[in-house]
Amino acid sequence: MATMAPSEPARIVKTEWSMREFWKRYGSWFVTVANLTIFFVVWELFARSGAISPLFLPPASSMFEALWTGLTTTSPPGSVISGSIRDHLFYSLGNLSLGLFLACLIGIPAGLLMGGNRYIETVLSPYVWALASLPRIALVPLFILFLGFTVKMQVTIIVLSAVFPIIINAWAGVKTTEKSLLAAAKVFGASRRELYTKVVLPYTLPFIISGVQQGIGRGLIGVIIAEIFGGSKGLGYLIQRAADTFNSALMYAVLFLLVVVSLTLIQLTRWLEAYVAPWRRIDRL
Amino acid sequence: MRVAEADVGRTAAAPTIAAGPQDSAPVIVSKNLTVGYELHRERQRLTALRDISLTVNRGEFVVLVGPSGCGKTTFINAISGLVKPWEGSIEVNGRPVTGPGPDRAMVFQDYALMPWRTVESNIRMPFEMQKLGLSQKEMDERVRRYIDLVDLTGFENSFPYELSGGMKQRVGIARALVSEPDILLADEPFAAIDAMTREAMQSELERFVTNTRQTVVFITHSIDEAVTLGDRVVVISYRPGRIKEIVNVNLPRPRFDYDVKMLPEYGELRDHIWRLVKDEALQTARGAK
Repeated sequence: MATMAPSEPARIVKTEWSMREFWKRYGSWFVTVANLTIFFVVWELFARSGAISPLFLPPASSMFEALWTGLTTTSPPGSVISGSIRDHLFYSLGNLSLGLFLACLIGIPAGLLMGGNRYIETVLSPYVWALASLPRIALVPLFILFLGFTVKMQVTIIVLSAVFPIIINAWAGVKTTEKSLLAAAKVFGASRRELYTKVVLPYTLPFIISGVQQGIGRGLIGVIIAEIFGGSKGLGYLIQRAADTFNSALMYAVLFLLVVVSLTLIQLTRWLEAYVAPWRRIDRL
Repeated sequence: MRVAEADVGRTAAAPTIAAGPQDSAPVIVSKNLTVGYELHRERQRLTALRDISLTVNRGEFVVLVGPSGCGKTTFINAISGLVKPWEGSIEVNGRPVTGPGPDRAMVFQDYALMPWRTVESNIRMPFEMQKLGLSQKEMDERVRRYIDLVDLTGFENSFPYELSGGMKQRVGIARALVSEPDILLADEPFAAIDAMTREAMQSELERFVTNTRQTVVFITHSIDEAVTLGDRVVVISYRPGRIKEIVNVNLPRPRFDYDVKMLPEYGELRDHIWRLVKDEALQTARGAK
C-alpha cells in the first residue's frame, strides 16, 4: 500500500529490442505481405501457363491493370454508360452510405425501444424476427415491382439488409445490461432517466457498433444484389456487364475492389469500437 | 488507507478502542420483516427472509453470516431500498424506507463499476445523481480526499479494466464513502479478492470504521471475516432466512493491531458460529433445496 520509497531503483527499465521481439511484434506483417505476394505470383504464373482459359482466370497483372485504369479515368461527359470503375464505385458507395445512415436512423431507436419497453418488444419482435430471418434477396422482385429500377428501390434493399442486425444488437445490448450496474446506479440515486442515459446507453453503445459492423456487411450484399437485379450503374451492375462482355479482368478487378472496400469499412468500425469501448478489447480476433 | 487524514472531515472523533453498540441510537430498525421475490414466469413468490427483527445502532458494525441463498443480500437490499418489504417494516433514521437515498451507500461483490468511466469519474458518480447541496469545490475536494484514502492517487484516470481486483474494490469503497453516508452496506465486498489483499483490506476498513464511527452492515461467507470485523454477528438460517442467533463479539479494536486471532475468545467465537451454521452449510453443499 505504501508509496514507493525514492531510493528504490526504478521498476520500469527500458530494454534493447532483440531480433526475436522485433519478429514477435512485426512478424505477422511480413508474413502477410509475403503470403499475398506469393498468392498473386502463383496466380499470375498459373494463368499464364495456359492451363485455364484467360476467360475464366485472367492473369493477376491484367486484373490490377484493369483496376488501375478503371480507377484513374472517368468516362467522358454525356456518355450513356460509364466504363470507369470510379464512377460506379462512387455511385455504389453513395447508395451504401445513404442506406446505412437510414438503417441506423431507424434501427438504433427501434432496438433501444424494444429493449427498454416490454410492450413495444412484444408487438415488434415477431416482425423483426420474421424479416430478419427472411432472405432479403427474396424481396427484390417485390421492390422492383413497387419502385421500379430506381435508386429508391436500391436504397430500400440496402436499408432492409442492414437494419436488422442493428436493431437486434441494440435490443440485446439493452436487455443484457448488467444487473449489478443498474443496482449500483439505483443505490447511488439514479432517476429512471439517468438509468438509461448513464448506464443502459453507454453499456449498449459497443453493441450498436457491432450491429453497424454487421450491417455494413449485409448492406454491401444488398447494394450488389440490387444493382445486379435492376440497375444501370454501380459495382454490381459493372460485374454483371463485365461478365456479359467476357471482360474477366474487369470482373476480377471489381471483386477485388469489393473485398478492399468491405475490409476497410469493417476495420474502421473495429477501431471505432476499440476507441469507444476499450474494456471490450480483450479476447478479440 | 490513510486514516489519520481521512477522518478530518468527519464529525465524530472516536476513541481508538470501541466495541459493541455503545451509542445505542438506533439507525436501522427492522420489525418482523418478511421479503422476497416475485417469479413472474413461474407465477411463484419466493420468500427470501421471514420475520427478521433487528436493530442496528449508530457506529455499530453488524455482520450477517449464513449459507448461500439464505437471503442476506435481500436484507441489505431492503435496507438500501432496492426491494420493498412484504410484511413488517424497515426504518432508517426513524423513517420507513421507500427507496434508495444518500444516507445509505453500498459496496458490491462484483465491484459494479461503470467500465466506461475512469476511477475518478466512478467515484464522482454519486454526486451526479444525488443532490447533496455541496459546492463544486467541496465535491472536487472530497473526491480527491477519498481517492487518497483508498490509496489510488495516480490512478485517477485509469479505467477499471486496467486495475486488479483489490484496486477495483478500493474504487467501490471510495464511491460508497464519498457521499459520507450514515450507513455503509457491503455485500461480500472482499469475496472475489485474493487472501492476502483481503486481509489487508479488512484491516484498513476496520481502521477507517473505528475512527469515523461509521455504521456498517456487512455480509460475508467467511466466519473469520465476521469475527475479525463485527461488533455483532447475525447468523441467518437457510431459506427462508430467519435470525438464528445474534453473537456479540467483544474483542478489542482495532482488531488487527491487537492480533485478536491469537486470543482464546476468538477461537471460541469462531467455533460457536461454525456450529450454528454447520448443519445448514452442509445441507447447502449437498444441494438440498
